[in-house]
Amino acid sequence: MNNLPQHRSTRIRTFVYCVLGFHAVVALIAPFLPLMPTDKQDSGAMLQGFSSAHWLGTDALGRDVLSRALHGGRPSLVIAILATALSAVIGIALGSLAALAGGWVDEALSRLIDFLLALPTLILLLLIASFFGHDPFILIVTLGFMYAAPIARVARASTQVLLARDFVRVARLQGGRGVNILLGEVLPNVWRVVFTEIAMQFTWIILAFSSLSFLGLGASPPTPEWGLMIAEARSYMTINPTAVIAPIVMLASLVLAVQALVDRE
Amino acid sequence: MQCDGSESAFRDVGMKNLARRALFTIGAFVSLAVLSFLGIDALPGDGCTALLGRFGTEAKIAECRVEHHLNDPVVVRLGSWASDVVQGDLGYSIKRDEQVAQIVLPRIRNTAMLALVAALMAFPTAIVAGLLIGRFPRSRIGRAINTLGVVAMTLPEFVIATILWLVFSIWIPIFPGVTVVPSNATFVELLPHIWMPALTLAAVVFAHSMRTMKAGVTTIQAMPFVESARLRGTKERVTLLRHILPAALPPVVNTIAVDAAWLLTGTFVTEAIFNYRGLGRLTIDAISDRDTAVILPIVLFSLGAYLTMSLIADTVVRLLDPRLRQHRS
Repeated sequence: MNNLPQHRSTRIRTFVYCVLGFHAVVALIAPFLPLMPTDKQDSGAMLQGFSSAHWLGTDALGRDVLSRALHGGRPSLVIAILATALSAVIGIALGSLAALAGGWVDEALSRLIDFLLALPTLILLLLIASFFGHDPFILIVTLGFMYAAPIARVARASTQVLLARDFVRVARLQGGRGVNILLGEVLPNVWRVVFTEIAMQFTWIILAFSSLSFLGLGASPPTPEWGLMIAEARSYMTINPTAVIAPIVMLASLVLAVQALVDRE
Repeated sequence: MQCDGSESAFRDVGMKNLARRALFTIGAFVSLAVLSFLGIDALPGDGCTALLGRFGTEAKIAECRVEHHLNDPVVVRLGSWASDVVQGDLGYSIKRDEQVAQIVLPRIRNTAMLALVAALMAFPTAIVAGLLIGRFPRSRIGRAINTLGVVAMTLPEFVIATILWLVFSIWIPIFPGVTVVPSNATFVELLPHIWMPALTLAAVVFAHSMRTMKAGVTTIQAMPFVESARLRGTKERVTLLRHILPAALPPVVNTIAVDAAWLLTGTFVTEAIFNYRGLGRLTIDAISDRDTAVILPIVLFSLGAYLTMSLIADTVVRLLDPRLRQHRS
């Protein structure tokens, strides 16, 4: 009886890793798979259902849904990984420096973090995406800064707790310098907690980017991107539902897998 | 409830804290408002370029700028804008040739109605579900609801909306899929069109408060005062409603406040999908038109909504949790 939940949770965990692995592999090797080109339009076969030529049918322009669905994660993943890395660097730097320095530096950095947290994220994203175009570099930098604040908050709190611990005090008494203590003693120990927060931000960034694409302000056509594909195929949902369902399944499985990895329940 | 002298003294301390908190909120709002004005002002383009578009000649744009005082220094424009806003004048949209208040207020009303329906769907059910799932963690139905809630919370709104649309407008057509009412429709006219977007929003926020409630119930159930109530032979229903529920409620208030603010300000995608004429759709339209005169009050509204909701939440939590009245001095 006691072993049962344990077994279940390891099975779920294995499944989650498989889903994540699937997404990583597909995103990496999609261009090398024997698929139709994502932008090849087949005017003779629009909005078709399953067939041997198009396994998941075609969209309104006669493009292969399977190929587009498998390619569709690449833009979001590249942008989300880079933006998450940037927000992790900014967040950890801000948070742990604030905790380490203390005093007015801590006060100033904490106010900055509060300010970033109070910003209406989606409006800002829409504004920036609309006014500065589809430049992925600008999007990555914006997302990186906006999603750094929650990471900074967690990093600051957990660093503060650790700084009071004996082994850190010993390191200080032994004459360790601030930066060395941060890199050698604090970061390895706060990493686990902070990583959970980083993974959460990763899903939010993916969601934010695909929402932008859905609204027509993220990836631009004819790029295969899940949010954009769903937006394009929604109008023809009654004729070929797979054109909507395929990107939904891909996006949902990725986001849910990351969430399940983070969620300890 | 009767209060003796000492307790009212504690309450005073709480109230003083709250007053300080309110002052801080106002200060934060004012400084963020000024920053928003400057930030939006710094974006390329203004009301005149928005009106005349890319076909406007240099001369025409310059003429329009003189007419609308857009060449004044930023500080002067900030000052006149601020004094207008204080007097209740939200400004004028050159692009839409209309008072901004007349554009924005009906949309705020529509979004508020949508948010209200979604909140009534989500929050009471979430509290009840969280209470029951926390109390009966092994129940299969409870686990299923928990999992469904987490899935809905994690998925983007456009996915949930598309699934709901596929199911309830196409496979089982009970709700209209697209809103086709004007933005000044009455509540009764709007009601048939509100269910689908409200259901989408409710699905997104449901799990937040449900899980906070559940976590609270799980912790509190193990506490000595609950055990003592049970050992005294208190009825299970009374234990649940009079002992566990009040103790688990305060953290849920904070979750609900954040979600309520989001329901008022974060519904772009849902409104766009269902063609619901609320603030979210106006935001997207205004942003794609570069109509900064409309964008600015929307930004202010969403800042205000977040700050007000968190202030309300703090007040309610203080009223619900007697310990906070005593300890925070």
